[in-house]
Amino acid sequence: MNEVKEQIFSVSEITRSIKFVLESNFEKLSIEGELSNFKAHSSGHWYFSLKDEEAVINCTMWKGVNNYVFFTPEDGMKVIITGRLTVYAPRGSYQIDVRTMKPAGVGELQAAFERLKRKLFDEGLFDEQYKKAIPFFPKKIALITSSEGAAVRDMISVAERRFPLVELLIVPTKVQGADAAREIVENLAKVNLLKNIDVIILARGGGSIEDLWPFNEEIVARAVFKSDIPVITGIGHEVDFTIADFVSDLRAPTPSVAMELATPDQEELKGIIQDNSSAIVSSINSILDEYRSEIEYQINSYTFKYPLEKVRNYSQQIDTLNIMINNLVEKKLLTNNSRILLLSKTLEGYDIQKSLKKGFALIRQNSKFVTRKNNFNKSETHTIQFYDGEIKI
Amino acid sequence: MSKKKSLDSFEDKLKRLEAITEKLESGETGLEQSIVLFEEGIKLSKECISILNKAELKITTLQKELNNISTNDED
Repeated sequence: MNEVKEQIFSVSEITRSIKFVLESNFEKLSIEGELSNFKAHSSGHWYFSLKDEEAVINCTMWKGVNNYVFFTPEDGMKVIITGRLTVYAPRGSYQIDVRTMKPAGVGELQAAFERLKRKLFDEGLFDEQYKKAIPFFPKKIALITSSEGAAVRDMISVAERRFPLVELLIVPTKVQGADAAREIVENLAKVNLLKNIDVIILARGGGSIEDLWPFNEEIVARAVFKSDIPVITGIGHEVDFTIADFVSDLRAPTPSVAMELATPDQEELKGIIQDNSSAIVSSINSILDEYRSEIEYQINSYTFKYPLEKVRNYSQQIDTLNIMINNLVEKKLLTNNSRILLLSKTLEGYDIQKSLKKGFALIRQNSKFVTRKNNFNKSETHTIQFYDGEIKI
Repeated sequence: MSKKKSLDSFEDKLKRLEAITEKLESGETGLEQSIVLFEEGIKLSKECISILNKAELKITTLQKELNNISTNDED
Protein backbone atom coordinates (compact mmCIF):
# COMPACT_ATOMS: atom_id res chain seq x y z
CA MET A 1 0.00 0.00 0.00
CA ASN A 2 2.92 2.20 0.64
CA GLU A 3 3.72 1.75 -2.94
CA VAL A 4 0.73 3.73 -3.97
CA LYS A 5 2.01 6.88 -5.32
CA GLU A 6 0.88 9.85 -3.36
CA GLN A 7 -0.94 12.42 -5.48
CA ILE A 8 0.62 15.79 -5.18
CA PHE A 9 -1.64 18.85 -5.52
CA SER A 10 -0.77 22.36 -6.13
CA VAL A 11 -2.05 24.84 -3.50
CA SER A 12 -4.56 26.10 -5.94
CA GLU A 13 -5.74 22.65 -6.85
CA ILE A 14 -6.26 21.56 -3.26
CA THR A 15 -7.84 24.88 -2.39
CA ARG A 16 -10.25 24.44 -5.30
CA SER A 17 -11.13 20.99 -3.96
CA ILE A 18 -11.60 22.25 -0.42
CA LYS A 19 -13.65 25.12 -1.76
CA PHE A 20 -15.84 22.73 -3.71
CA VAL A 21 -16.31 20.30 -0.83
CA LEU A 22 -16.98 22.96 1.76
CA GLU A 23 -19.12 25.27 -0.29
CA SER A 24 -21.32 22.50 -1.63
CA ASN A 25 -21.81 21.04 1.86
CA PHE A 26 -22.48 24.32 3.70
CA GLU A 27 -24.73 26.10 1.25
CA LYS A 28 -27.60 26.91 3.53
CA LEU A 29 -26.61 27.69 7.07
CA SER A 30 -28.29 29.28 10.06
CA ILE A 31 -25.91 30.16 12.85
CA GLU A 32 -26.46 31.77 16.20
CA GLY A 33 -23.56 33.51 17.83
CA GLU A 34 -22.29 36.66 19.48
CA LEU A 35 -21.08 39.49 17.30
CA SER A 36 -17.51 40.63 17.70
CA ASN A 37 -15.09 42.84 15.81
CA PHE A 38 -17.96 44.37 13.91
CA LYS A 39 -16.73 46.80 11.20
CA ALA A 40 -18.95 48.69 8.79
CA HIS A 41 -16.43 49.56 6.09
CA SER A 42 -16.75 52.77 4.15
CA SER A 43 -17.29 50.65 1.04
CA GLY A 44 -20.61 49.66 2.56
CA HIS A 45 -19.58 46.08 3.32
CA TRP A 46 -19.71 44.68 6.83
CA TYR A 47 -16.94 42.55 8.35
CA PHE A 48 -17.37 40.77 11.67
CA SER A 49 -16.97 37.56 13.58
CA LEU A 50 -19.47 35.30 15.26
CA LYS A 51 -18.30 33.54 18.34
CA ASP A 52 -19.30 31.41 21.28
CA GLU A 53 -17.27 30.13 24.21
CA GLU A 54 -15.09 27.87 22.18
CA ALA A 55 -15.03 28.95 18.57
CA VAL A 56 -15.07 31.90 16.24
CA ILE A 57 -16.00 32.21 12.60
CA ASN A 58 -15.43 35.14 10.25
CA CYS A 59 -18.31 36.68 8.37
CA THR A 60 -18.90 39.19 5.60
CA MET A 61 -22.14 40.89 4.72
CA TRP A 62 -22.11 42.76 1.48
CA LYS A 63 -23.46 46.15 0.73
CA GLY A 64 -26.93 45.87 -0.73
CA VAL A 65 -27.66 42.85 1.40
CA ASN A 66 -26.97 44.50 4.71
CA ASN A 67 -29.49 47.24 3.77
CA TYR A 68 -32.18 44.84 4.92
CA VAL A 69 -30.92 44.62 8.48
CA PHE A 70 -33.21 46.87 10.48
CA PHE A 71 -30.78 47.47 13.33
CA THR A 72 -27.19 48.50 13.64
CA PRO A 73 -25.23 45.46 14.80
CA GLU A 74 -22.88 45.93 17.67
CA ASP A 75 -20.35 43.79 19.43
CA GLY A 76 -21.77 41.57 22.12
CA MET A 77 -25.17 41.31 20.50
CA LYS A 78 -26.40 37.76 19.94
CA VAL A 79 -27.67 37.33 16.41
CA ILE A 80 -28.92 34.63 14.12
CA ILE A 81 -27.52 34.79 10.63
CA THR A 82 -28.23 32.85 7.50
CA GLY A 83 -25.75 32.45 4.68
CA ARG A 84 -23.32 30.11 3.06
CA LEU A 85 -19.75 29.14 3.65
CA THR A 86 -17.20 30.46 1.19
CA VAL A 87 -13.52 29.82 0.88
CA TYR A 88 -11.31 32.77 0.08
CA ALA A 89 -8.47 31.28 -1.82
CA PRO A 90 -5.98 34.19 -1.70
CA ARG A 91 -5.97 33.97 2.08
CA GLY A 92 -6.72 30.33 2.48
CA SER A 93 -9.50 31.19 4.80
CA TYR A 94 -13.12 30.43 5.05
CA GLN A 95 -15.89 32.70 6.05
CA ILE A 96 -19.64 33.00 6.06
CA ASP A 97 -21.24 35.06 3.33
CA VAL A 98 -24.16 36.38 5.37
CA ARG A 99 -27.54 36.89 3.68
CA THR A 100 -29.73 37.84 6.64
CA MET A 101 -29.17 38.83 10.20
CA LYS A 102 -31.64 39.23 13.05
CA PRO A 103 -31.32 39.53 16.79
CA ALA A 104 -31.28 36.14 18.54
CA GLY A 105 -34.24 37.37 20.60
CA VAL A 106 -36.15 40.45 21.64
CA GLY A 107 -33.94 40.42 24.71
CA GLU A 108 -30.99 41.27 22.48
CA LEU A 109 -32.68 44.42 21.22
CA GLN A 110 -33.73 45.28 24.74
CA ALA A 111 -30.15 44.89 25.86
CA ALA A 112 -28.90 47.06 22.99
CA PHE A 113 -31.53 49.61 23.90
CA GLU A 114 -30.38 49.66 27.52
CA ARG A 115 -26.73 49.93 26.52
CA LEU A 116 -27.35 52.90 24.26
CA LYS A 117 -29.66 54.51 26.78
CA ARG A 118 -27.00 54.19 29.47
CA LYS A 119 -24.30 55.54 27.16
CA LEU A 120 -26.26 58.59 26.01
CA PHE A 121 -27.50 59.23 29.52
CA ASP A 122 -23.92 59.25 30.74
CA GLU A 123 -23.03 61.67 27.98
CA GLY A 124 -25.80 63.97 29.19
CA LEU A 125 -27.92 63.83 26.05
CA PHE A 126 -31.10 63.44 28.10
CA ASP A 127 -30.36 66.35 30.44
CA GLU A 128 -33.18 68.77 31.10
CA GLN A 129 -30.85 71.68 30.47
CA TYR A 130 -30.73 70.79 26.76
CA LYS A 131 -34.50 70.60 26.35
CA LYS A 132 -35.66 73.43 24.14
CA ALA A 133 -38.95 75.18 24.86
CA ILE A 134 -41.81 74.46 22.50
CA PRO A 135 -43.22 77.76 21.19
CA PHE A 136 -46.83 78.39 22.17
CA PHE A 137 -47.82 79.78 18.78
CA PRO A 138 -45.96 77.75 16.14
CA LYS A 139 -46.22 79.20 12.64
CA LYS A 140 -44.89 76.20 10.79
CA ILE A 141 -44.47 72.63 11.96
CA ALA A 142 -42.41 70.05 10.06
CA LEU A 143 -43.67 66.48 10.25
CA ILE A 144 -40.91 63.96 9.77
CA THR A 145 -42.97 60.86 9.26
CA SER A 146 -44.29 58.49 6.63
CA SER A 147 -46.48 60.31 4.11
CA GLU A 148 -48.79 57.33 4.20
CA GLY A 149 -50.57 55.71 7.09
CA ALA A 150 -52.72 56.78 9.97
CA ALA A 151 -50.09 58.79 11.86
CA VAL A 152 -49.83 61.63 9.35
CA ARG A 153 -53.59 61.73 8.80
CA ASP A 154 -54.23 61.84 12.54
CA MET A 155 -51.75 64.66 12.99
CA ILE A 156 -53.29 66.68 10.16
CA SER A 157 -56.76 66.32 11.60
CA VAL A 158 -55.57 67.31 15.07
CA ALA A 159 -53.91 70.44 13.63
CA GLU A 160 -57.06 71.20 11.65
CA ARG A 161 -59.24 70.94 14.74
CA ARG A 162 -56.95 72.65 17.23
CA PHE A 163 -55.08 75.37 15.41
CA PRO A 164 -55.75 75.81 11.69
CA LEU A 165 -53.64 78.98 11.71
CA VAL A 166 -50.55 76.79 11.64
CA GLU A 167 -48.83 75.57 8.49
CA LEU A 168 -47.68 71.98 8.19
CA LEU A 169 -44.66 70.88 6.20
CA ILE A 170 -44.77 67.16 5.58
CA VAL A 171 -41.37 65.59 5.12
CA PRO A 172 -42.04 62.11 3.73
CA THR A 173 -39.64 59.80 5.51
CA LYS A 174 -39.12 56.07 5.79
CA VAL A 175 -39.78 55.22 9.41
CA GLN A 176 -39.22 51.48 9.31
CA GLY A 177 -36.52 49.17 8.01
CA ALA A 178 -32.83 49.44 7.42
CA ASP A 179 -32.79 52.80 5.56
CA ALA A 180 -35.12 54.49 7.96
CA ALA A 181 -32.54 55.67 10.49
CA ARG A 182 -30.39 57.23 7.79
CA GLU A 183 -33.40 58.95 6.16
CA ILE A 184 -34.59 60.32 9.47
CA VAL A 185 -31.13 61.75 10.10
CA GLU A 186 -30.98 63.30 6.63
CA ASN A 187 -34.41 64.84 6.90
CA LEU A 188 -33.72 66.27 10.34
CA ALA A 189 -30.68 67.96 8.81
CA LYS A 190 -32.68 69.22 5.80
CA VAL A 191 -35.43 70.69 7.93
CA ASN A 192 -32.83 72.39 10.07
CA LEU A 193 -31.61 74.16 6.94
CA LEU A 194 -35.04 75.75 6.49
CA LYS A 195 -35.31 78.97 8.39
CA ASN A 196 -39.00 79.14 9.10
CA ILE A 197 -39.73 75.94 10.99
CA ASP A 198 -40.72 76.42 14.62
CA VAL A 199 -41.21 72.81 15.69
CA ILE A 200 -40.35 69.38 14.30
CA ILE A 201 -42.58 66.42 15.06
CA LEU A 202 -40.81 63.10 14.59
CA ALA A 203 -43.56 60.55 14.48
CA ARG A 204 -44.52 57.02 13.66
CA GLY A 205 -47.60 54.91 14.29
CA GLY A 206 -47.53 51.82 16.45
CA GLY A 207 -45.55 48.69 15.61
CA SER A 208 -43.31 45.97 16.94
CA ILE A 209 -39.98 46.71 18.58
CA GLU A 210 -38.36 45.86 15.24
CA ASP A 211 -40.61 48.37 13.45
CA LEU A 212 -39.78 51.10 15.91
CA TRP A 213 -36.10 50.23 15.97
CA PRO A 214 -34.86 53.13 13.81
CA PHE A 215 -35.83 55.41 16.68
CA ASN A 216 -33.49 53.45 18.93
CA GLU A 217 -30.51 53.96 16.67
CA GLU A 218 -27.65 56.06 17.91
CA ILE A 219 -27.42 58.18 14.74
CA VAL A 220 -31.09 59.16 15.13
CA ALA A 221 -30.63 60.01 18.79
CA ARG A 222 -27.64 62.20 17.97
CA ALA A 223 -29.43 63.92 15.10
CA VAL A 224 -32.41 64.71 17.34
CA PHE A 225 -30.03 66.08 19.95
CA LYS A 226 -28.24 68.17 17.35
CA SER A 227 -31.40 69.74 15.92
CA ASP A 228 -31.58 73.49 16.54
CA ILE A 229 -35.32 73.34 16.08
CA PRO A 230 -37.23 71.85 19.02
CA VAL A 231 -38.24 68.23 18.36
CA ILE A 232 -41.36 66.56 19.70
CA THR A 233 -41.42 62.78 19.35
CA GLY A 234 -44.63 60.82 18.96
CA ILE A 235 -43.56 57.26 18.33
CA GLY A 236 -45.73 54.17 18.59
CA HIS A 237 -48.16 53.90 21.45
CA GLU A 238 -48.25 55.02 25.05
CA VAL A 239 -46.14 52.07 26.24
CA ASP A 240 -43.41 52.48 23.64
CA PHE A 241 -40.36 54.37 24.75
CA THR A 242 -37.57 54.86 22.25
CA ILE A 243 -34.14 56.41 22.63
CA ALA A 244 -35.31 59.28 20.43
CA ASP A 245 -38.02 59.97 23.03
CA PHE A 246 -35.39 60.43 25.71
CA VAL A 247 -33.33 62.81 23.61
CA SER A 248 -36.18 64.84 22.16
CA ASP A 249 -37.26 68.13 23.68
CA LEU A 250 -40.70 66.74 24.40
CA ARG A 251 -42.00 63.18 24.27
CA ALA A 252 -45.59 62.47 23.31
CA PRO A 253 -47.11 59.02 23.70
CA THR A 254 -48.60 59.03 20.17
CA PRO A 255 -48.39 61.10 16.97
CA SER A 256 -51.80 62.70 17.66
CA VAL A 257 -50.73 63.78 21.13
CA ALA A 258 -47.49 65.14 19.65
CA MET A 259 -49.57 67.46 17.46
CA GLU A 260 -51.70 68.39 20.45
CA LEU A 261 -48.60 69.34 22.39
CA ALA A 262 -47.31 71.35 19.44
CA THR A 263 -50.44 73.46 18.95
CA PRO A 264 -52.64 75.62 21.14
CA ASP A 265 -56.32 74.67 21.14
CA GLN A 266 -58.48 77.21 19.35
CA GLU A 267 -61.40 76.45 21.67
CA GLU A 268 -59.19 77.31 24.62
CA LEU A 269 -57.97 80.41 22.80
CA LYS A 270 -61.56 81.45 22.16
CA GLY A 271 -62.22 80.87 25.85
CA ILE A 272 -59.27 83.08 26.74
CA ILE A 273 -60.50 85.77 24.33
CA GLN A 274 -64.02 85.49 25.77
CA ASP A 275 -62.67 85.73 29.33
CA ASN A 276 -60.69 88.79 28.39
CA SER A 277 -63.62 90.51 26.78
CA SER A 278 -65.91 89.79 29.73
CA ALA A 279 -63.18 90.97 32.10
CA ILE A 280 -62.95 94.16 30.05
CA VAL A 281 -66.73 94.63 30.18
CA SER A 282 -66.90 94.11 33.92
CA SER A 283 -63.87 96.36 34.45
CA ILE A 284 -65.40 99.20 32.49
CA ASN A 285 -68.70 98.71 34.32
CA SER A 286 -67.07 98.86 37.71
CA ILE A 287 -65.04 101.89 36.63
CA LEU A 288 -68.21 103.60 35.45
CA ASP A 289 -70.04 102.56 38.63
CA GLU A 290 -67.26 104.05 40.67
CA TYR A 291 -67.58 107.33 38.85
CA ARG A 292 -71.37 107.22 39.16
CA SER A 293 -71.30 106.66 42.86
CA GLU A 294 -68.63 109.30 43.23
CA ILE A 295 -70.89 111.78 41.44
CA GLU A 296 -73.87 110.69 43.53
CA TYR A 297 -71.84 111.07 46.67
CA GLN A 298 -70.78 114.53 45.66
CA ILE A 299 -74.34 115.53 44.84
CA ASN A 300 -75.61 114.23 48.16
CA SER A 301 -72.70 115.70 50.05
CA TYR A 302 -73.04 118.79 52.33
CA THR A 303 -70.99 120.79 49.85
CA PHE A 304 -73.62 120.33 47.19
CA LYS A 305 -76.55 120.82 49.60
CA TYR A 306 -74.97 123.93 51.08
CA PRO A 307 -75.67 126.27 48.15
CA LEU A 308 -79.38 125.47 48.40
CA GLU A 309 -79.27 126.23 52.07
CA LYS A 310 -77.51 129.43 51.29
CA VAL A 311 -80.07 130.33 48.68
CA ARG A 312 -82.80 129.74 51.20
CA ASN A 313 -80.92 131.79 53.75
CA TYR A 314 -80.47 134.59 51.27
CA SER A 315 -84.08 134.54 50.23
CA GLN A 316 -85.13 134.70 53.82
CA GLN A 317 -82.79 137.59 54.37
CA ILE A 318 -84.21 139.27 51.31
CA ASP A 319 -87.69 138.78 52.65
CA THR A 320 -86.70 140.33 55.93
CA LEU A 321 -85.10 143.26 54.18
CA ASN A 322 -88.19 143.67 52.06
CA ILE A 323 -90.33 143.84 55.10
CA MET A 324 -88.00 146.33 56.66
CA ILE A 325 -87.95 148.45 53.54
CA ASN A 326 -91.68 148.35 53.26
CA ASN A 327 -92.00 149.38 56.83
CA LEU A 328 -89.58 152.20 56.40
CA VAL A 329 -91.22 153.40 53.21
CA GLU A 330 -94.61 153.29 54.78
CA LYS A 331 -93.39 155.22 57.78
CA LYS A 332 -91.79 157.81 55.55
CA LEU A 333 -94.92 158.14 53.54
CA LEU A 334 -96.95 158.65 56.64
CA THR A 335 -94.56 161.30 57.91
CA ASN A 336 -94.60 163.06 54.59
CA ASN A 337 -98.34 162.99 54.43
CA SER A 338 -98.63 164.66 57.75
CA ARG A 339 -96.06 167.23 56.73
CA ILE A 340 -98.00 167.89 53.57
CA LEU A 341 -101.09 168.36 55.62
CA LEU A 342 -99.30 170.78 57.83
CA LEU A 343 -97.86 172.63 54.89
CA SER A 344 -101.15 172.81 53.15
CA LYS A 345 -102.63 174.24 56.30
CA THR A 346 -99.85 176.81 56.42
CA LEU A 347 -100.41 177.55 52.80
CA GLU A 348 -104.03 177.95 53.51
CA GLY A 349 -103.05 180.89 55.66
CA TYR A 350 -101.65 182.58 52.63
CA ASP A 351 -104.72 181.92 50.60
CA ILE A 352 -105.77 184.87 48.31
CA GLN A 353 -109.39 184.43 49.16
CA LYS A 354 -108.58 185.00 52.77
CA SER A 355 -106.79 188.29 51.90
CA LEU A 356 -109.68 189.31 49.71
CA LYS A 357 -112.04 188.50 52.52
CA LYS A 358 -110.02 190.77 54.75
CA GLY A 359 -110.66 193.66 52.23
CA PHE A 360 -107.65 193.46 49.97
CA ALA A 361 -108.32 193.65 46.21
CA LEU A 362 -106.45 192.44 43.14
CA ILE A 363 -105.97 194.48 39.97
CA ARG A 364 -105.67 192.61 36.74
CA GLN A 365 -104.79 193.96 33.39
CA ASN A 366 -104.67 191.73 30.28
CA SER A 367 -105.37 188.78 32.59
CA LYS A 368 -102.17 189.43 34.54
CA PHE A 369 -102.06 190.57 38.12
CA VAL A 370 -100.60 194.07 38.42
CA THR A 371 -98.40 193.97 41.47
CA ARG A 372 -96.39 197.19 40.94
CA LYS A 373 -97.28 200.82 40.05
CA ASN A 374 -94.97 200.84 37.05
CA ASN A 375 -96.75 197.92 35.51
CA PHE A 376 -100.10 199.71 35.51
CA ASN A 377 -101.17 201.06 32.12
CA LYS A 378 -103.69 203.96 32.55
CA SER A 379 -104.91 203.84 28.97
CA GLU A 380 -106.08 200.23 29.20
CA THR A 381 -108.96 198.63 30.98
CA HIS A 382 -108.38 196.81 34.22
CA THR A 383 -110.30 194.61 36.47
CA ILE A 384 -110.51 194.92 40.20
CA GLN A 385 -111.24 191.72 42.04
CA PHE A 386 -112.89 191.84 45.39
CA TYR A 387 -113.84 189.09 47.68
CA ASP A 388 -117.41 189.14 46.50
CA GLY A 389 -116.83 189.84 42.76
CA GLU A 390 -115.07 191.86 40.06
CA ILE A 391 -115.48 195.32 38.63
CA LYS A 392 -114.28 196.07 35.08
CA ILE A 393 -113.14 199.72 34.63
CA MET B 1 -53.66 88.28 4.01
CA SER B 2 -50.95 85.67 4.06
CA LYS B 3 -51.00 82.87 6.56
CA LYS B 4 -47.95 84.08 8.39
CA LYS B 5 -49.28 87.59 8.57
CA SER B 6 -52.63 86.54 9.99
CA LEU B 7 -50.93 84.39 12.60
CA ASP B 8 -48.59 87.20 13.53
CA SER B 9 -51.45 89.58 13.85
CA PHE B 10 -53.46 87.04 15.82
CA GLU B 11 -50.63 86.63 18.27
CA ASP B 12 -50.12 90.39 18.53
CA LYS B 13 -53.81 91.07 18.91
CA LEU B 14 -54.19 88.47 21.65
CA LYS B 15 -51.20 89.86 23.52
CA ARG B 16 -52.59 93.40 23.21
CA LEU B 17 -55.99 92.19 24.38
CA GLU B 18 -54.48 90.61 27.46
CA ALA B 19 -52.48 93.76 28.17
CA ILE B 20 -55.65 95.85 27.93
CA THR B 21 -57.50 93.53 30.31
CA GLU B 22 -54.68 93.78 32.79
CA LYS B 23 -54.58 97.57 32.52
CA LEU B 24 -58.30 97.96 33.00
CA GLU B 25 -58.32 95.53 35.91
CA SER B 26 -55.51 97.44 37.59
CA GLY B 27 -57.97 100.31 38.01
CA GLU B 28 -55.23 102.82 37.35
CA THR B 29 -56.67 104.18 34.13
CA GLY B 30 -58.68 107.38 34.05
CA LEU B 31 -62.24 107.47 32.75
CA GLU B 32 -61.43 108.64 29.24
CA GLN B 33 -58.52 106.23 28.81
CA SER B 34 -60.61 103.40 30.22
CA ILE B 35 -63.29 103.95 27.64
CA VAL B 36 -60.74 104.10 24.81
CA LEU B 37 -59.14 100.86 26.05
CA PHE B 38 -62.52 99.21 26.46
CA GLU B 39 -63.46 99.96 22.86
CA GLU B 40 -60.10 98.73 21.57
CA GLY B 41 -60.33 95.54 23.65
CA ILE B 42 -63.80 94.63 22.44
CA LYS B 43 -62.72 95.26 18.84
CA LEU B 44 -59.60 93.09 19.30
CA SER B 45 -61.51 90.19 20.80
CA LYS B 46 -63.93 90.20 17.88
CA GLU B 47 -61.04 90.26 15.41
CA CYS B 48 -59.24 87.40 17.18
CA ILE B 49 -62.32 85.17 17.09
CA SER B 50 -62.84 86.03 13.46
CA ILE B 51 -59.24 85.16 12.52
CA LEU B 52 -59.63 81.74 14.17
CA ASN B 53 -62.97 81.10 12.53
CA LYS B 54 -61.64 81.95 9.08
CA ALA B 55 -58.36 80.03 9.39
CA GLU B 56 -57.71 77.17 7.01
CA LEU B 57 -54.93 74.66 7.54
CA LYS B 58 -52.17 74.93 4.96
CA ILE B 59 -50.21 71.80 4.14
CA THR B 60 -47.12 71.51 1.96
CA THR B 61 -44.66 68.71 1.53
CA LEU B 62 -40.92 69.03 1.48
CA GLN B 63 -40.89 67.29 -1.89
CA LYS B 64 -43.34 69.81 -3.30
CA GLU B 65 -41.30 72.69 -1.96
CA LEU B 66 -38.19 71.30 -3.56
CA ASN B 67 -40.09 70.70 -6.84
CA ASN B 68 -41.40 74.24 -6.77
CA ILE B 69 -37.94 75.59 -6.32
CA SER B 70 -36.55 73.54 -9.25
CA THR B 71 -39.55 74.46 -11.48
CA ASN B 72 -39.00 78.10 -10.73
CA ASP B 73 -35.34 77.73 -11.53
CA GLU B 74 -36.16 76.32 -14.96
CA ASP B 75 -38.43 79.24 -15.80
